[in-house]
Amino acid sequence: MSYKYLGVFIAFLCPALIGEIIGEYSLDNRYFFNSGMQGQERNHSSFTLSPEIFLEEENSILHFKPKLRKDNEDNERNLVDIQELYLINLLEDKEIKYGISKEFWGVTETTHRVDIINQTDTAESFDGEDKLGQPMVKVSFEENWGLLDFYALLGFRERTYPGNDGRLRQPMIIDTDNPQYLSSAKNKRVDFAFRWSNYFDQLEIAISHFSGTSREPRFVVSNQNLKEIIPLYEVIDQTGFEFQYLLGSLAIKSEIISRSGQRDRFTAATYGFEYTQVGILSSRLDLGWILEANHDDRLPSSPAVIGSRLTFNDISDTQILTGIIYDERSEEIGILLEASRRLGVCCSLSIEGFYFDDTNEDNEEFKLFQSYKEDDFLRFEFIYYIGD
Amino acid sequence: MSLLNVGKKFFIFCILASSISYHISANKALEIAILNDQNNNGFIDSSSDMTMNLINRKGDVVSRKLRFKRLEVPEDGDKSIAVFESPRDVKGVAILSYAHKVQSDDQWLYLPALKRVKRIASKNKSGPFLGSEFSFEDFSFQEVEKYEYKLIGEEDYLNLKCFVIERTPLDPYSGYTKQLVWIDKENYLIQKIHLFDRKSFHLKTQKFEEYKLYEGFFWQPQKIEMINHQNGKSSILLFENVKLNSGFTDRDFTQNSLKRSR
Repeated sequence: MSYKYLGVFIAFLCPALIGEIIGEYSLDNRYFFNSGMQGQERNHSSFTLSPEIFLEEENSILHFKPKLRKDNEDNERNLVDIQELYLINLLEDKEIKYGISKEFWGVTETTHRVDIINQTDTAESFDGEDKLGQPMVKVSFEENWGLLDFYALLGFRERTYPGNDGRLRQPMIIDTDNPQYLSSAKNKRVDFAFRWSNYFDQLEIAISHFSGTSREPRFVVSNQNLKEIIPLYEVIDQTGFEFQYLLGSLAIKSEIISRSGQRDRFTAATYGFEYTQVGILSSRLDLGWILEANHDDRLPSSPAVIGSRLTFNDISDTQILTGIIYDERSEEIGILLEASRRLGVCCSLSIEGFYFDDTNEDNEEFKLFQSYKEDDFLRFEFIYYIGD
Repeated sequence: MSLLNVGKKFFIFCILASSISYHISANKALEIAILNDQNNNGFIDSSSDMTMNLINRKGDVVSRKLRFKRLEVPEDGDKSIAVFESPRDVKGVAILSYAHKVQSDDQWLYLPALKRVKRIASKNKSGPFLGSEFSFEDFSFQEVEKYEYKLIGEEDYLNLKCFVIERTPLDPYSGYTKQLVWIDKENYLIQKIHLFDRKSFHLKTQKFEEYKLYEGFFWQPQKIEMINHQNGKSSILLFENVKLNSGFTDRDFTQNSLKRSR
């Protein structure tokens, strides 16, 4: 894609010319306790460059943020992406954003059901939190009746997947070079979306609709090679509903979607609680709890997640996150542990561990983590933040 | 008139007198609180740059920087946006607050890395702000309606004649059971506050220093110091580039503006 090269060119030219530069450089090392199911290496490291430039004038803002990632093992994990390259114009009654950007929708913490504007970068991380930049024109109104955003999404980004040499991959080889589209416009289709959100005292709600190419593909078996599967991107209509109610230190949350266009219409939902205890045991530590359950019509069962966040409130912003994913039907469990803190004024360090366990191998239900069986890992990430 | 009756009447008189004197001290205290509040009214909008120095027991200093914008809302609490400038890893993180006079404040947190605006429970106000000795509550606006007042005396503090007022937070989620406030008699400015935690222990002392008068009516301390007596740490907040009346509107204090503020 030609704009990739243009992006790289601008990335290294622009800092010399304009504005304020921030952003980050990071080094990431994942150590897997076992070799992969397909014989992949145990040690995977990558580095990421992601500078950011802001230029602000009266009633307009320019933001540019490229992202470059290089992985030592998995070519599919290499990335040249423009996360942000947009101009915002503030007009009398509305705000217009032109360009490439990221937009987040949703209220829940573990699974993001309604979030659909951007494609997910699953090669970066299997948790689905990392996204690719999406070209768009967004018109936004914010009045007493709430916040109303209209989107025209210009073109489509394919989902990234770990490659053959990557970890946390599917057993079948995904042929990302030959995706299929249901729309004749293929990846040039213009998609539309809107989202309205408002709050009423302690209640926060949002309603959204997306009409366009599904960010999440289905897979079809390749005609040429039976070991390969091909992503099929269909045209879908997805209506989303978000709800959050604050009851003291307790937040009650829910996200529900209804989607048509991928075989039968289906519903999926994530719902749960977030509760924060401030100053536990008369200390300055905070302890937050997250409990979220899932439902998806397409799956026989969906896992529930219980998580906790211990915040030290010290000068280094030390945090420890733990999470347990459990699927009742398949009797599988996944355990996450993540600790992070700031180092000096420039940097931060995080250590993350993930452990998958099938507590009952005789259970013959559909296994969610089957393909991650050998993928228990420890990950170290060192980030240097650009700035003065 | 029997002796018993006289006793009863005297008893009733005593109750009345003490309740009247209580009301007088409460009324006087409320009057002082209102006079103090007027030093902070009518500014329409304000903005400032803040530096927060966190000092540990050994005297090591770590700095944080924030930008702050505030809009006065008639008949309600103020709207404000605080944007973190440093440390670098939290640059662009911002908090939008709609303060209310009686009901709890509405607050949203913007996380630029996730591009997510998250409504946060303003009830969790007793926790530390940015790892400092200030709590979120110490940072929010001191609306008159949020406390009950009692005048407990007069005292000289740093050569200023001061009223000493006891104020009790009405919000059950406050981290404090009571506060002793020293307000000078000349300009009705808060000079010092003793903050008592939930166990009624004198946990922290907050000192307001170097007051400066803007536009002839708006008093702003250039320095606010918070000393924690329990852990021996302190935090100093310094204000720079204080500006009034920049022409902010409601539009500068919305979720969209929060995303633009970085």
